[in-house]
Amino acid sequence: MSANVAAAERIRISPLARRLAHEAGLALEALSGTGPHGRIIKRDIEAAIANGGANRAAAPQASHREVATAPPPPAAALSDDKILALYDKGSYELVPHDKMRRIIAERLTVAKQTIPHYYLSMDCRIDELLRARGRMNAASPAEGPRAYKLSVNDFIIKAMALALQEVPAANATWTEAGMLQHKYSDVGVAVAIDGGLFTPVIHHAEMKSLSEISNEMRDLADRARKRRLAPHEYQGGTTSISNLGMYGIKSFDAVINPPHATILAVGAAEKRPVVVGETLEAATVMSVTLSCDHRVVDGATGAALLGAFRAFIEDPVRMLV
Amino acid sequence: MGASDYDVIVIGAGPGGYVAAIRAAQLGFRTAVVERAHLGGICLNWGCIPTKALLRSAEIVHLVGEGESFGVRAGKPEIDVAAMVARSRAVSRELNAGVGFLLKKNGVDVIWGEAKLRGRGEIDVAAPRDTGRPNPEPPKDARGPGRYTASHIIIATGARPRALPGLEPDGERIWTYFEAMLPPSLPRSLLIAGSGAIGIEFASFYRALGCEVTVVELLEQILPVEDAEIAALARKAFEKEDIRIITGAKVASVERGKDSITADVVTSDGKSEKIAAERMISAVGVVGNTDGLGLDALGVKLDRGLIVTDGLGRTSVAGIYAIGDVAGAPMLAHKAEHEGVACVEAIKGLDVHALDKLRIPGCTYSRPQIASVGLTEQRAKEAGREIRVGRFPFRANGKALALGERDGLVKTIFDAKTGELIGAHMIGAEVTELIQGFVIAMQLEATEEDLMRTVFPHPTLSEMMGESALSAWGLAIHIPPAGKASG
Repeated sequence: MSANVAAAERIRISPLARRLAHEAGLALEALSGTGPHGRIIKRDIEAAIANGGANRAAAPQASHREVATAPPPPAAALSDDKILALYDKGSYELVPHDKMRRIIAERLTVAKQTIPHYYLSMDCRIDELLRARGRMNAASPAEGPRAYKLSVNDFIIKAMALALQEVPAANATWTEAGMLQHKYSDVGVAVAIDGGLFTPVIHHAEMKSLSEISNEMRDLADRARKRRLAPHEYQGGTTSISNLGMYGIKSFDAVINPPHATILAVGAAEKRPVVVGETLEAATVMSVTLSCDHRVVDGATGAALLGAFRAFIEDPVRMLV
Repeated sequence: MGASDYDVIVIGAGPGGYVAAIRAAQLGFRTAVVERAHLGGICLNWGCIPTKALLRSAEIVHLVGEGESFGVRAGKPEIDVAAMVARSRAVSRELNAGVGFLLKKNGVDVIWGEAKLRGRGEIDVAAPRDTGRPNPEPPKDARGPGRYTASHIIIATGARPRALPGLEPDGERIWTYFEAMLPPSLPRSLLIAGSGAIGIEFASFYRALGCEVTVVELLEQILPVEDAEIAALARKAFEKEDIRIITGAKVASVERGKDSITADVVTSDGKSEKIAAERMISAVGVVGNTDGLGLDALGVKLDRGLIVTDGLGRTSVAGIYAIGDVAGAPMLAHKAEHEGVACVEAIKGLDVHALDKLRIPGCTYSRPQIASVGLTEQRAKEAGREIRVGRFPFRANGKALALGERDGLVKTIFDAKTGELIGAHMIGAEVTELIQGFVIAMQLEATEEDLMRTVFPHPTLSEMMGESALSAWGLAIHIPPAGKASG
């Protein structure tokens, strides 16, 4: 699962609070506001500082003016009272939500409720890719600005970006006004951080070299973990990638981050027996699952996109042209 | 409490009470308001509004007197005090009827009489006492004396003029604001004890009409809550109009003559002076209207005659709330209104916060006007704040010169480190209308940069607000670098 956290969600904060937060080195994403419409104001910064930067969130609140104008809560199956009644007092600790948790909850609920998802899976052989990666990394300067160390994920970003250029119909966003046909492949990559996740975006990934993508990704992931990303670095994007391979997950289905139309869920690369012709071979195989927004990407288009992706991944030399 | 007559009963239909009642009705509460004398309270009937009507008359007297300098010869203005008073009463009457209309349209019941708390959730209403003043009629469909119950009772009974021993107002020679608002004729001379907003406004009004006016203030500064620099400019302006001001002095005693008084004014260094005047106005503050409400019996905690609340109107007794003057300073109508709204919203369970008292503006409608919000320069320094102070004088503003209003100052106080606007203090024409800009800026937590980048229309007095912010960083355009404003 992945959420383009805070994308499209402008952080509401007073000029004074913004300045105070900056001076105190507080990440705005982690703050919750108690001003009108959840605006972060001076007292929230003072509270966060007083809490040692623990950024405790306020209790859920009704809209200041009218309860009736508050947006309905995302179809909660059970009310808080009912849930709490199921557990003995003292058997749990109630940890307040921070702003990031609320955004994740809100956006992914909206995604699942409004986007008609369907899923396509495929296995990719990556022996070729691993060999190419080894040779490329061996060729990197030991240090300096031109040094690089490519990961499998960097290849996946590049392959996805190129596949979207080959199947432009899948590089799109649903809007009521019409289909937003994107020209560039802006690939978001989910980065797990303490207490949530960010999805920084590699813009124009189809035009960037693998080493550029690799270095940019390392910088973005590093700053995401420190909650030091600027909004433009995690907002927008035309697709995203969620890779849980490092946790040994074989395959999974990811939730699309609005306003994207696709997300690629990447599982672990592992040695598996594969049938080649009439014989059994040992191969390094990685399973991927593409989630598609059916309003934008029909089955055949999704299949074409995933096919194009596999063609690049299995024959990485093609990515170099 | 389903059997209660009401969800909310508000005692007192002043600006705090009637606004709280309307907000309660908006939130779906069955609401009633108890009033004994006049919808709209002191503010609308004996305070803010009628005095503004009188001061408008004074302003016109002033302008006509200045006519020649504007190329208009109209002769010496003739003053008709009775007509001024009649106009001011008409303005109050219109608004009073308006409050009745709003309450009715919001489905708020009006109960006419004196309320006394019987216990939690229960009041007795008795027939109103005669105030001896010409009060408007109660609304036709008002409910009468009786016992009423409510889940929540909000005390919004306001305040009344303080009477100092020996200086008790008698309604004839020693006035409170009630009589000062209804002069049967113009006194030739007037002594005013107290230089807060009320004393100063009456000084300005009566001086404009030609009275000899003396103001006696206990503290060393007139308008004691205002910034010292602004207060000094105000004093200079009043003295230029030949208002005599004696500070650091008190009216020790008064000898009441047949149609005049002689006051013994004693200064802090022990000097005594006899001052004779036809009338005296006692404007030495107000006291909360807590008597007769039955608060003691219920254990509602008071502090120096005012009800102690938690900022959202809650008193020490559950179900009993207090807002406005009776709940403490600053005793201002707009503070009461907002406290009333916050109190009712908190009862409803909405997410509300107590008013930030440093964001409540104060206005004095004398000539010149004075308006302020937030910390004074002195209080900011006492609080240990590192500050930057901006000053911009009226005489460097095009609109001010065009209006013929060259005296005045816009002073701003910022936190030097964060750029937070922590105070604004103004004196001069129309500053009571300008101050809201700074109040909004504070409410939205603007910094100096926001004020500097705000586009103020040209030519207006408001341009001085941006310039004042710029000058705090030495960046004002229309005064020379390091220019010092003198007003």
